Parts: sequence; structure tokens; C-alpha cells
Amino acid sequence: MFDVSNLHVAAGGAEIIKGLTLSVPAGETHALMGPNGSGKSTLAYALSGRDGYEVTQGEAALDGADLLALSPEQRAAKGLFLSFQYPVEIPGLSAIAFLKAALNAQCKARGLEPMSAPEILKLLRAKAAALKIDAEMLKRPLNVGFSGGEKKRFEALQMAVLEPRFAILDETDSGLDIDALKIVAENVNALRGPNRAMLVITHYQRLLDYIKPDRVHVLARGQIAASGGPELALELEREGYDKYLRAA
Amino acid sequence: MIQLVDLPTRRNEAWKYSDLARAMDERVQFVLRRDRADPHVTSAFACGGVIGALAAQCGRVEELRLAAGEALVRVDRPTYANLEPRLLEVDLAPGARLCRIVVQSDAESGIILDAAHVRVGAGAQFQQFIMAEGAKLARMETKVEIEGEGAGVELNGVYMAGPGRHADLTSSIVHKAPGGTTRQLIKGVARTRGRGVFQGKILVAPGAQKTDARQYHHGLLLEEGAEIFAKPELMIHADDVQCAHGNTAGGLDESALFYMRSRGVLEADARALLIEAFLVDAVPEWAPDETRAEILGRIGAWLRGAPNTWTAGVSPAGALAVQDATERAS
Repeated sequence: MFDVSNLHVAAGGAEIIKGLTLSVPAGETHALMGPNGSGKSTLAYALSGRDGYEVTQGEAALDGADLLALSPEQRAAKGLFLSFQYPVEIPGLSAIAFLKAALNAQCKARGLEPMSAPEILKLLRAKAAALKIDAEMLKRPLNVGFSGGEKKRFEALQMAVLEPRFAILDETDSGLDIDALKIVAENVNALRGPNRAMLVITHYQRLLDYIKPDRVHVLARGQIAASGGPELALELEREGYDKYLRAA
Repeated sequence: MIQLVDLPTRRNEAWKYSDLARAMDERVQFVLRRDRADPHVTSAFACGGVIGALAAQCGRVEELRLAAGEALVRVDRPTYANLEPRLLEVDLAPGARLCRIVVQSDAESGIILDAAHVRVGAGAQFQQFIMAEGAKLARMETKVEIEGEGAGVELNGVYMAGPGRHADLTSSIVHKAPGGTTRQLIKGVARTRGRGVFQGKILVAPGAQKTDARQYHHGLLLEEGAEIFAKPELMIHADDVQCAHGNTAGGLDESALFYMRSRGVLEADARALLIEAFLVDAVPEWAPDETRAEILGRIGAWLRGAPNTWTAGVSPAGALAVQDATERAS
């Protein structure tokens, strides 16, 4: 479903990702672990098409369709979703207006009829209720004054509403206390399904106690240094990343 | 007919960015009906400066007094129709609350001069929002004196200076009594040959302890040849106060633009939404529903008439001048 092959990414004048190959089949959730500075967020931004992250070599495809030639909004329309490590605050724009713009832009890109305001409101309320998110949050300016937990839960709500095929969760655990982490993990788990795949980026094993991955990959020095089952995360927690940094 | 020497020029510091004498021409002249030495004129000058003096000579001076505990919402619409400088003198008794909205939206080729002088008593609230689309020259001045303890002032505003238009929001807030609060958020956009001016002075007098004052001005230059001039001034002569100010101008937030695009919103639509959100942020929730709807409608209409071509994060080659004059006691 999601396939990256020999990917090289340069950012800020330096090559950060150096020949990364990774496949996540439909229905699976993979974890990408690595120390700070290993290029995890660079990979997330490059895959979603952010300016300043230049793919110099390699391929990335979703359902067989090349992503790299597409703009960020075209990638989103193909079903790619990035849950941000630091969701952006936009004063003056309500969460509901933001989601309405996103939803109707994706409907249009997929050749579907735009949804009416009441239909959208109904959908958002239903999705929020399913994730036990207070619908009042939708009226507030986007992410402004949201707690760390609320921001990540709102990312999960966006995912629930936009129904992506493939979601990248960038450091979803950062800035969360253990209670908030459990709630966000529940929200994410509720969105797992046979037609969707996820890549969970984290540098702590802790998140993976709550979002259990099918596979774990270690990112070190710009490449996948090791892959294995969930037990690999436990080994990393015990032994650290040191051996991969030296071995690479 | 007024003598041009009576009008401030750019050599006058308070009118440095708004050249009134130059904006006058044969089609735009004030007709003075009173003498400069008339006591009405000198007292209006003391309260409302040049605009006050002109209002007393050839425009309109209005007085508004709110009794203790009284509350009022007032909407002003300065127009060019009869070239009438205006001065509004307001006196808020303790505990009174005035919400004033100023909508300035016509007068492409005219000159609009509007001043308010507001004295705020103990525990009273003065909340103001100005929306200015500019004119050949439009200047909205607000002078606030906090005279009683624990008063609250909010001075928000939005300016949208289209081609050939000049919008000037000038304010001065003097904290004379302790425990006062000031919140000021001004947001503005300018297109080519449009000029936005923000001059904001906050003075905390000795003895006005526990003052909490925050002033922010943010401008977006939408096209090449747009101009925004900002002159924030914070003068603090008390030592136990909290004061903050911030002043920026440039392009859109690149991370916000990417956030929206990553959710599928087309780049052009994302920009339009972000510029609108940027301005709407300063529109207060306390505005009556229909006035708020009118203001949001004017902002939307103005933006639909503006192009949407510049690149996020990169300021076009417009001019930006910031003259920061902050003084702090001790």
C-alpha cells in the first residue's frame, strides 16, 4: 500500500535521509523509531511535500501512485495524512471552518459533490462523539489555547473526518502526560482498520505500549538500520540506539 | 478657507506618516467657521489635537457622558460626504462601559479625520474596534486617559489599505491610575500604493502601579509597492507593572500554509483563508451580531477584490518602517 524505495532527502543543504526503503501493507501499523536528529521528522515532511525538503533520489508511492510529483494538497487527496508533532495555531480561524475547507477541498479533488454546512456539522459532531471529544472545541480558533493533549486529539479527529488511506503520526506522544497519551492512543487505535495503514514515528517505546505496532523499524544515519517485530522496540528501550549508530 | 500653514506636515512628528497638507487640494478643502483663538477651538485642540481643533472650527464636536454603571454600544461611521472632521469627547463615570465600533469603508478620494478623547473612571471599561479601509487620507485617532483605579481598555483595529488608499490608526493611552488594563491588537494589510500607518503610544505615569498593558500590531504586505509604517511607543514611569508589545510585518506564516495544504486545501485557498483569519483575529467577540457580520462581510469583500499572488514567508518589496521608542523608568 505505502512503498518507499531508496529515498534520499536533503534539507537545509545537507542530506538527511540516505537511501531509505520501507513498505507498510494495508491494515498494518508500523513504528519508526530513532534517536533525536536521525531524520524522522524530515522523512515525514518530505513524504507530505513540505517546501524545503528536497527529494534528490528514490521513490514513494501510495497504492502504486507516485507521490513525489504531487503538491501537498494532491497527496492529501490521494489519502495521505500527516499528524503533526506540533500542530499549528491559527488565530481567527475556527476549527470547524478549517475542517470544512479541508473536507470540501478533498471532495472536490476526488470529484465528489461538496458537502453542505449542516451535513458537515453533523459529520463532525458524530466523529467527535465517537472519539469522546467535546464538540465545543470545534468552535474555538484552531489549536489556539488547546492543551498538548487537545491538540493531538484534534489531529486524531481530523484523521477520523478525512479518512486517509495512510497516516504518518509524527511524535504523537511528545508533550503529553501519561493520561493524555492513553486517550490519544485510544483515539488512534479507533482509527485502525483493514483498509488503512499507519506509520507511527516516535523515539520512546512508551507510546508503543498503547499503539501496538505490527512491525518496528529503526532509523539511524538516514537509513533503516534494523526491522523486526514489537520485541525490537523493547530491545531498544533496554539497550538504546548506540549499537545502530556505531554499526551504521 | 483654511490656511495650509494651519495643517500639520510631515515635519510634525505626530503626522510624519500622514501628510495632511499634501492630501489637500482644490477639491478637498476645509472651510473654517471659527477662529483659531476661540476658546472652543483651544479646548478641542487640548483634547483632540489637530483633528480636535479642526472639528471645533469646521466639523463636529460631540460629547458623550455615561453615568456610573451605565453601558452603551455605539457604532460610528465617519464619512467623506461633507468633509467633516469629528471629535467625540467621552467621559465614563466609575463602572460605566462603552463599546464603540468605528466602520470606515467609503471615501476613496476624500479625507476623513476622526478623533475620540476618552476619560475612563474607576472600574470603567472602554472597548473599541475600528475597521478602516482608508481614503485619500483617513486618520482615526483615539486618546484614552485612565483616571480611576482598575479601569479596562481594549483598543483593537483592522486596516485594509487598497491601491491609492491611506489608513492611519493612531492611539495614545495614558495610565494615570493604578491597576488599569490595556489590551490592543491591530492587524492590517496593504496592497500596492496602499499605505497603512499604526502609531500607538502607551504611557504609564508614576504611581500607576499594577498596570497591565499589552500592545500588538501585525501587518501583511500583500503586493509590491505596499507600505506599512508602525510606531509603537511604550513609556513606563512606574516600576511594578506588566507591559508587553510586539510588532511584525511581512508575509504569511509558512508553517500554517503547509498545515492547511497537508489537509488538502489548495494553496491559493489556504492563503485566502489565512489572510482572512489574520484580520478576523482582531475583530472582537463583543461586537453585536449584525455589526460583526457586517465587518466580516467587508473583510471578505475586500479580500476577494485583492490578488493572492505573493509567496508565503517572503515579503514583497514593499516598504516597512518601524520606529520603536520604548522607555522604561530606572
